[in-house]
Amino acid sequence: MTTSTLPAVMLGAGPGLRTGRLAGHFAAYGALALGAFVMLLPFYYMMVFATHTNTDILSVPPPSWFGDHLLENLNDLLARRPRFWHSMGLSVWIALAVTVLNLFFCSLAGYAFAMFDFAGKEKFFGFIMATMLLPAFVSMIPTVLLMSQLGWINESRALIVPAACGAVGVFMMRQYIGSAIPRELVEAARMDGCGEFDIYWRVVLPLLGPALGTLALVTFIGSYNNFIGALLVMRDQDAYTLPLVLRSLQGTSGITWGALSVGAAVTVLPLLVLFVVYSRRLIDGLTAGAVKG
Amino acid sequence: MMDMASDISLTGIGKTYGGAGRPTIAGLSLEVKAGEFMVFVGPSGCGKTTLLRMIAGLEDISEGEVAFDGRRVNELGPAERGAAMVFQSYALYPHMTVAENLGFGLKMTGVKTAEREAAVARVAETLQLSQLLDRKPKALSGGQRQRVAIGRAIVRSPKVFLFDEPLSNLDANLRVQMRVELARLHRELGTTMIYVTHDQVEAMTLGQRIAVFNAGRIEQVGTPLDLYHRPGNRFVAEFIGSPRMNMLPARCEGGAAMVLAAGGWRLPAEGSGLNELHTVGVRPEDLQPGPVGEGAVQAEVRLVEQLGDATLLHLQVSGAEPGIAARLNGSVHDWQPGQQVGLRCAADKLRCFDSAGRSLA
Repeated sequence: MTTSTLPAVMLGAGPGLRTGRLAGHFAAYGALALGAFVMLLPFYYMMVFATHTNTDILSVPPPSWFGDHLLENLNDLLARRPRFWHSMGLSVWIALAVTVLNLFFCSLAGYAFAMFDFAGKEKFFGFIMATMLLPAFVSMIPTVLLMSQLGWINESRALIVPAACGAVGVFMMRQYIGSAIPRELVEAARMDGCGEFDIYWRVVLPLLGPALGTLALVTFIGSYNNFIGALLVMRDQDAYTLPLVLRSLQGTSGITWGALSVGAAVTVLPLLVLFVVYSRRLIDGLTAGAVKG
Repeated sequence: MMDMASDISLTGIGKTYGGAGRPTIAGLSLEVKAGEFMVFVGPSGCGKTTLLRMIAGLEDISEGEVAFDGRRVNELGPAERGAAMVFQSYALYPHMTVAENLGFGLKMTGVKTAEREAAVARVAETLQLSQLLDRKPKALSGGQRQRVAIGRAIVRSPKVFLFDEPLSNLDANLRVQMRVELARLHRELGTTMIYVTHDQVEAMTLGQRIAVFNAGRIEQVGTPLDLYHRPGNRFVAEFIGSPRMNMLPARCEGGAAMVLAAGGWRLPAEGSGLNELHTVGVRPEDLQPGPVGEGAVQAEVRLVEQLGDATLLHLQVSGAEPGIAARLNGSVHDWQPGQQVGLRCAADKLRCFDSAGRSLA
């Protein structure tokens, strides 16, 4: 009885099961495609608006394909903000400096937390992690006062030094080092006569490639896009970073959308290039240590 | 040769980890002679690796003193002690080539490039690594990695070599090859070597002397054959030898004769030394199976294992738990599972232990 009905049941269930699974796949991909569309749409319009005049942009419906006013808009932008390229250079410099410092300090701290046992280690680590709970706005007034007292207002170090080491980076490095660097490797270096800093520099750091790549990307993007921090300490137009320049184009007397869009598009360009080149590494790095490889 | 090797003296060594009430190692003393190949053997968690790491300087010493050539080294860092270590996982630097791995220690101690390259080439030659110098560790086989790890230790010409279960990741064939290789290296270098393993075959074949560890203390130190033939206690008797020594319950009766609870053997007790008799141990190869009869311990054959060069009989003696084993030379086909067998043994092959496991004779 069982043997005669079993094949029939299996035959009946097979296609139904397959159809159900296919429908599930379609639903999932549909939802993902919708999400991607919603996220990419503003970028698309930013690019499209960068090639149209203000009148075209404000018409109803707005243009949905590229026009031929890109150079005009760019010239308009440079006429309104002659120091635009200087600001871009400043943004890149600050982002690079913050990134390099973060890579160094976060990996050093992460290494210490992952590989050394010292009194109060867990409490200290907990304290660093707790700083992530503080809203960024809580530290706004003290930061301005401090930078003002140090005389660092309008100087790039006012954005670089406070951001030189972040709790997220320390956490990420500790996790990665704990899971990817065998303790015996450090001990072997110690037996080989390596000093503690040399062990970090010559043995541990070269093995942190994926995690460093991810941290570099996240930090660079974060610093490059930093608006509030720059708004607090960069007051002169000469000291403006790109987010401030873009904000300054939105005056009370009306907004020149073409110039703003081309500015935003140029601003986003380095990040897009970075992301295209390193997206694989970013994803690898974010999942590193999550599973034993 | 002796200036190439250090003698090591351990006095009252203790190790307690923070938070742990009971010490991992307590009051341990041992002398390792210059140029000696000493093996630490024992079950997992017995403290042998911890002691090795304390000698290396990778672990703090809670109490006692470690001395190299009579000089206290407790406070010295690993590199300052003049010891080199080969790790269980090889611990090769993955981002460096074989040549860079070999030369890293010399580089760190400021040896000039030309001198360093010459030393690396010499060691590579000795360990047949010359063709692999430009490869990264991930492009090497297990055996090659192991040779690089050993080479990295040799190249610094240390006075003491420390090995932490270096062969445990290799397959059986390679392990035998590397054992021969290590024995050859020791002969050639004449350096003091301390070798940690839980494999008693490695211990027996490599060690000039063996220290048997159990629960943070040394049970016995001696030459391999000393430990095999004259174990100081039941733990050593059972740990050294494969298959392990058979243990049978026994007692002394009438002051003159020893009777095994399993029945059969009656031996002259010869004086009062055996009054405390509790267990008798006999090596599998010393048991002679034959027909059931007077003066033989009766047992039932449970399983026959043909190893080619030998036959192992797994036997059950009534009143003795667990089962025991007999090892016969060659392929013997006389015995079948379920068969009754009479076991005989020469009196001088028996090891007697009291209830605390101490050896009585």
